Amino acid sequence: MFHNMIRVSWCVALAMTMALTSCFKDEPLNAEADIERVVVNVAQPEQLFFQITDTARDVLSTDNNIVFTVRGHADLTALAPRLVLTPGATVEPASGSVHDFSNGPVTYVVTSQDGRWQRRYTIAFQRHLVIVNDTIKYDFEHFELEPAGKKYYIWYNQDAAGQLVQEWASGNPGYKIARATAKPDEYPTIPLTEGYEGYGVKLITRDTGPFGKMSKKPIAAGNLFLGEFDMSKATTETLKSTRFGLPFTKRPAKYTGYYKYTAGDTYKDKDGNVVPGKKDVGSIYAVLYRNHDAAGNEVMLFGDDVQTNPNIVAIAKVKDLHETTEWTAFEVPFEYSKEVDEQLLENRGYSLTVVFSASVDGDLFIGAIGSTLCVDKVRVICTHEE
Amino acid sequence: MKRFLAYVLLMVMAGAVAHAARPDSTFLNTGFFFEGRVGYNIGGSAPLGMPATIRKINRFSLTPNVTFGLGAYRPINGRWGAKVGISFENKGMETDANVKNYHMEITKGGETLEGVFTGNVVTRVTQWMFTVPVQVTCDVRKVRLRAGPYFSYLTGYKFDGWAYDGYLRVDDPTGAKVVLGHEDGERGEYDFSDSMRRFHVGLGFGVDWYFMKKFGVWADLNWGLQGIHKSDFHTIEQTLFPIYGAFGITYKIR
Repeated sequence: MFHNMIRVSWCVALAMTMALTSCFKDEPLNAEADIERVVVNVAQPEQLFFQITDTARDVLSTDNNIVFTVRGHADLTALAPRLVLTPGATVEPASGSVHDFSNGPVTYVVTSQDGRWQRRYTIAFQRHLVIVNDTIKYDFEHFELEPAGKKYYIWYNQDAAGQLVQEWASGNPGYKIARATAKPDEYPTIPLTEGYEGYGVKLITRDTGPFGKMSKKPIAAGNLFLGEFDMSKATTETLKSTRFGLPFTKRPAKYTGYYKYTAGDTYKDKDGNVVPGKKDVGSIYAVLYRNHDAAGNEVMLFGDDVQTNPNIVAIAKVKDLHETTEWTAFEVPFEYSKEVDEQLLENRGYSLTVVFSASVDGDLFIGAIGSTLCVDKVRVICTHEE
Repeated sequence: MKRFLAYVLLMVMAGAVAHAARPDSTFLNTGFFFEGRVGYNIGGSAPLGMPATIRKINRFSLTPNVTFGLGAYRPINGRWGAKVGISFENKGMETDANVKNYHMEITKGGETLEGVFTGNVVTRVTQWMFTVPVQVTCDVRKVRLRAGPYFSYLTGYKFDGWAYDGYLRVDDPTGAKVVLGHEDGERGEYDFSDSMRRFHVGLGFGVDWYFMKKFGVWADLNWGLQGIHKSDFHTIEQTLFPIYGAFGITYKIR
């Protein structure tokens, strides 16, 4: 009995030690199946691309359609994009294989190292379209529920060839993380049925719920801007998640449109404390900037420098955005602080962003829940250099 | 109740008299010897066999896992006896583990964020409980071996922590990538306290050794037979069993 018991105790102690410390299993194989970066090596990149930096691009984790904009007369019949994948993942067709992209996008399927997960991507080379009209129209008529999850709305613009392109970005994907239970109309950025003409867009400052409180981001201001939203940075470097601007080849002179604005009832500071007597203010502006620095590196404007970056050449900003329940017209000039290099402008060396936000300090999580900005019939009117 | 208290008082007085008269008699002639014990629990709430998704334990911290108890021993036949007790103890732990493709689901105020996480996860467990062991004993010279089941009732418990310095793929490994940082507000916090069990049942094995007439040392191994969470809790894929060793000193009251 004594010996048996000793043996039992010893076995138990051994099992416990093993459970707690010693038996780490082999590392599991990678389960991700991402294209992280695409590089296009060609003998003479300047014949294909406007900027040398256009030959490679990082792919956001939420992107499935990778688009390179190329010169109008570029030869697309034999291109061999090299793909940087999640370590261990494989891709079909192979990275570096030659394809004819002149008839549209090519589909790539990436399989994870553990073989259990797949992602489907398309890579397209789109010829740059010369903007013919001097007036660029943003009417918010084209939107849909984001196809993968059908949780929130995304917006498209019609390009010069009549194609729908996803140029607009909003903080909606980030809101989905905080409030998975939210219905599409409970998101910060939603379509407005009764626009000034047809549909408009409605931006509302929303409560981010318990997760928002936990991560010290108690509100999400409704926003919409030309650019991209980088979901991966939404929790750690929120101001870096808004990537403002898309290449623009005209010289904007005037920024016009229609808006309505109501401030939310209770204005709160960063820590969620009520600031009595303080009214929330909306924000409407547009920025033109040089998208490369002197050393040739790409420049992107983020939440922390979208109105202050030294590469900015012109800003058009609606200054007295007062409360109004009627559609109110705005018209502001682009105020230039630097000369525009026409040659560079033609070669996609400048980017334009157009920004709307329901709370001017919403990027710092300051504002009033319920503040609502409605926008429609926005125009960027450009001038010809004769 | 009054009558009962009067009876107890009478018995204590009678016992004191008896004690004075015969030092080797059992407590109040009840046939039981009583002892007090204090000690410390070392162990964890851990899966049986480490899953491959847990790569490394970065840190394992001791928490105030004290145990205070009273025991009653009754000799039965020769070296054989029985022992019951009651103790108040904490079975806590704090770990910091490195994980890969680790399934996580964070629920807060009705909102859920689910996905697979690669990075570091801190887990903090506190489990204050009353425990009643019921054991068979066998004396071998000065050593008393014990074995038997135990039953615990938790009075205070917490299971929380945070995921940090890594990234979550929302829903599954092909979902959106969300980076979690180091600082408060950038990391993903969780709290599964509400899904914890109030009752534990397990098996205990122990040894007492009286190196002096009144004082002794003891060591136990208490192996929980059920996970520390309710059986309908699946957020953490592995069942975490409370497995704690304990050691301490004991004092013969009588």
